[in-house]
Amino acid sequence: MEEKNINKNLPLVRVEDIYKWYGKVQALKGINFEVYPSEVVGLIGDNGAGKSTLIKILSGVLYKNRGKIYWKGEEVNIFSVKEARNLGIETVYQDQAVIGCLSVAQNIFMGRQPVKSWGPIKILDKSKMREESEKLAKDLKLHIPSADQEVRFCSGGERQGVAISRAMYFKAKLVILDEPTTALAISGVNKVLNFITRLKEEKIASIFVTHNLYHVYSVADRFVVLSRG
Amino acid sequence: MINSEKIKLELVEHLIWLIILGVFIVFSLTIPHFFTIRNLLFILYAASPLGFLVFGEAIALLSGNMDLSLSENAGLTAMLVGVILVDWAPWLPGWVGIILMVLVGALLGAVNGFFVGKMKINPFLITLSTFIMFNWSTYYLRRGVIVKVPDALLVLGGGKTGGIFNSIFVIVGMVFILYILLEHTRFGSHIKAIGGNSEASGMLGISVENINFWIFTISGAMAGISGLLYVGYLKCIPSTIADGAIFLAFAGAIMGGVSLQGGRGSIIGALGGLILMGIIDAGCTMTAMEPALRGVLNGFILLIAILINRTRESLRDRILMPK
Repeated sequence: MEEKNINKNLPLVRVEDIYKWYGKVQALKGINFEVYPSEVVGLIGDNGAGKSTLIKILSGVLYKNRGKIYWKGEEVNIFSVKEARNLGIETVYQDQAVIGCLSVAQNIFMGRQPVKSWGPIKILDKSKMREESEKLAKDLKLHIPSADQEVRFCSGGERQGVAISRAMYFKAKLVILDEPTTALAISGVNKVLNFITRLKEEKIASIFVTHNLYHVYSVADRFVVLSRG
Repeated sequence: MINSEKIKLELVEHLIWLIILGVFIVFSLTIPHFFTIRNLLFILYAASPLGFLVFGEAIALLSGNMDLSLSENAGLTAMLVGVILVDWAPWLPGWVGIILMVLVGALLGAVNGFFVGKMKINPFLITLSTFIMFNWSTYYLRRGVIVKVPDALLVLGGGKTGGIFNSIFVIVGMVFILYILLEHTRFGSHIKAIGGNSEASGMLGISVENINFWIFTISGAMAGISGLLYVGYLKCIPSTIADGAIFLAFAGAIMGGVSLQGGRGSIIGALGGLILMGIIDAGCTMTAMEPALRGVLNGFILLIAILINRTRESLRDRILMPK
């Protein structure tokens, strides 16, 4: 563990002495680090260093065996994806959690769509979803002809853009990007790096997980290096 | 998008209705007395019991699942409710039977839903087992026919209001409800999402377990209503009710453009598939076609529909592809 350039403010999130075992295999051994508001932290480590495990714990997919997580100074337990989202932690997954046969708008809002009440029935507010999605797409400079376009026609970089728009729209405080550039061509990588800069402008903190130091170098404020847990 | 492209897209999306129109025109020109309002209403009436199986299957397929047990669910539900009303509790008012049909169907569907949703067992395997169980339970309850069916059970499937069969109102109403549910509610979007990519849906905070449970429960309720309509149509409850209709249910949904891979298709399309089968069936009946040959024809039409749908999908992709 090695850190540079320590910020004096209260950290947005701080993990303390995190341990995680998978059966007898120890994936994480006493991890400590913190992320400050509107900061871009590059989380670097070799394959198998435990990066994915660590971010899965933060995003509510896995639960830690030992250690503490503090959110804005208060200790929290994150048991599910929903709880993480309620805190304001949004995750952009490596394999791009998008649903190919649905539209860009549906993908951005999936799970939390705006609704209009029709008596006791709640009807999806499709026009609002479309408008908001088009605004977000413009903002992130996504080249999609319309928010009705099915995601399977989007390029890899644009798919990451769709996932990142979720975080922007729902006012996430912390965005975790799990290897967002791995499967992408150079143009896609540049796009994703631009998205991260945009997040910073919106004062959203992000953790950029990667094993490629060159990708993270241009955007990160600080690095956390993880070596063998 | 350019306007002519939009028209093309609409034509491709609703191809099934063009095919229906074509078949309809050919039959009207070649079969005497085919083109009458009475005949058209009768076609819809005769197809309505199967229609609910088609809808149930369409919902299961949209979510990336399948349900082999729907037709046997309809048969067991009809027989069980019949036995309850006739033998076990003859003092029950007949209308209770209507509610029981829906509830029993939903309950049998919920058994599938429990194993697929909560236990995460492959839907093919689970519904294959329940198919066999439901099928033989029907024979165990009664081998033969319940002839004296309470009138209340016949009203929806066989009665008429203002000269129009009640089952037509039932099916049109259900298409409307399912259309709203699938296209305009969160629940409907979750069904398509898990059909499209269930792993990603889980990451987006959708409870795949719960949605799967409810999908099978709703499909089961559709099967229960189907059983009710079969009883009204046949005016009795034979133990062979809806036997083998599951293949036609799949055929109808697939002809209507519901994809086996999940996530794609609509209830309006499934209705189209049902109507096409109904028209062809009526045509065969009116020309007194040999029953075995009709079976062959049904299979052949399904094959054509699959080929047409494949072409339709690639045409659709070509239109939608961003330039």
